[in-house]
Amino acid sequence: MDNLRSLPKFRDGLSYLYLEHCRIDQCDKSVSFHDKDGETPVPAASVAVLMLGPGTSITQAAIRALADNNTLVIWCGEENVRFYAWGTGGTRSARAILEQARLASDDQLRLQVVHRMYRMRFDERLDADMDIQQLRGKEGMRVRAAYRRASAESGVPWSGRNYDRGSWSAADPVNRALSAANSCLYGLCHAAILSSGFSPALGFIHTGKQLSFVYDIADLYKAEITIPVAFQAAKDGPADIERRVRLACRDLFRETQLLKRIIPDIFAALGLRELADEEDPYAEDAAKPADLWDPTGGDGEGLSDRLI
Amino acid sequence: MVVLIVERAKPGLRGELSRWMIEPRAGVFVGRISALVRDCLWEKVCREVGDGGAIMIYGAQTEQGFAIQTFGETRREIVDYEGLFLVRRRLDG
Repeated sequence: MDNLRSLPKFRDGLSYLYLEHCRIDQCDKSVSFHDKDGETPVPAASVAVLMLGPGTSITQAAIRALADNNTLVIWCGEENVRFYAWGTGGTRSARAILEQARLASDDQLRLQVVHRMYRMRFDERLDADMDIQQLRGKEGMRVRAAYRRASAESGVPWSGRNYDRGSWSAADPVNRALSAANSCLYGLCHAAILSSGFSPALGFIHTGKQLSFVYDIADLYKAEITIPVAFQAAKDGPADIERRVRLACRDLFRETQLLKRIIPDIFAALGLRELADEEDPYAEDAAKPADLWDPTGGDGEGLSDRLI
Repeated sequence: MVVLIVERAKPGLRGELSRWMIEPRAGVFVGRISALVRDCLWEKVCREVGDGGAIMIYGAQTEQGFAIQTFGETRREIVDYEGLFLVRRRLDG
């Protein structure tokens, strides 16, 4: 794939495909997976996230095809509840990550982003002069209320968010459902972040981990999506709960038009304008060297030609 | 829009389908019909296609934008992957 513009937009795609116990390879120019029943081609160019669970193996040719098609590949644990590694998203311009780095490294600018992120989670207007502790307190109350409301609506008792990472199956069903739903949401937010050229590590509210920014963005949607989904799934008992949660997530992702919303929400939270396709100078040619930095204000155009 | 594909169907059934839909290729029917008519035609196809096969695809409020129904034995089967319809080619034997 030479030109990124011919790829489907992230918002038009399918949210995720979770596979386990199969072999994924390239077959007649499509990406297919093989299991004991047969061979199934995957519409790779329109899937945002391909989640590979236990027992999967994948060939180099398949990874190349997926990377060409801008499909994020993540390797995860059983039922998608542990996250091991990820592949690459497809953007060539560094403009987004440079803006993100600028906002994250200046305390005043960073605080503005944090404010905007908290405000986006509330329907009602908040006072502009609320400090960060007040916003955090208000958000904590809102999350606890969301748990209480979901518990009341589903009739599933709630004794707090807890699970033992060493002993996964010992957690109560609703906590397991929450973890499964959240990791689905993280995968999608992660794909959106990479797809639009931001860094998952440069968080604003969260800090210090490779996925800090993923947690920031996913938090925008938890009260609306993953909390109600998890309680509804737990209502129907513990059997097969992770799979049922993923299924319910797909439905709610579609109903809430999440794929259409994530990238504009990221730009809104950062106070940035989305680049139109024709504004990405590197979309046409993967091999074109980038411009050179010039502190005196020149754009370095033409200099890169000398390096070829 | 509804796309209906029948395999090894009798001419009578195909003739009846072409009252409602056009048949641009043998056994392939395309049309815009109501959900009620669609379901009636599908029931009819399942009843009368005998040992043939049939597949129907129509626009629906799903993530893919369509839904699929199949009837009869074919080498390709539609598999529902947590709400995503994919096509599996079964291994021989």
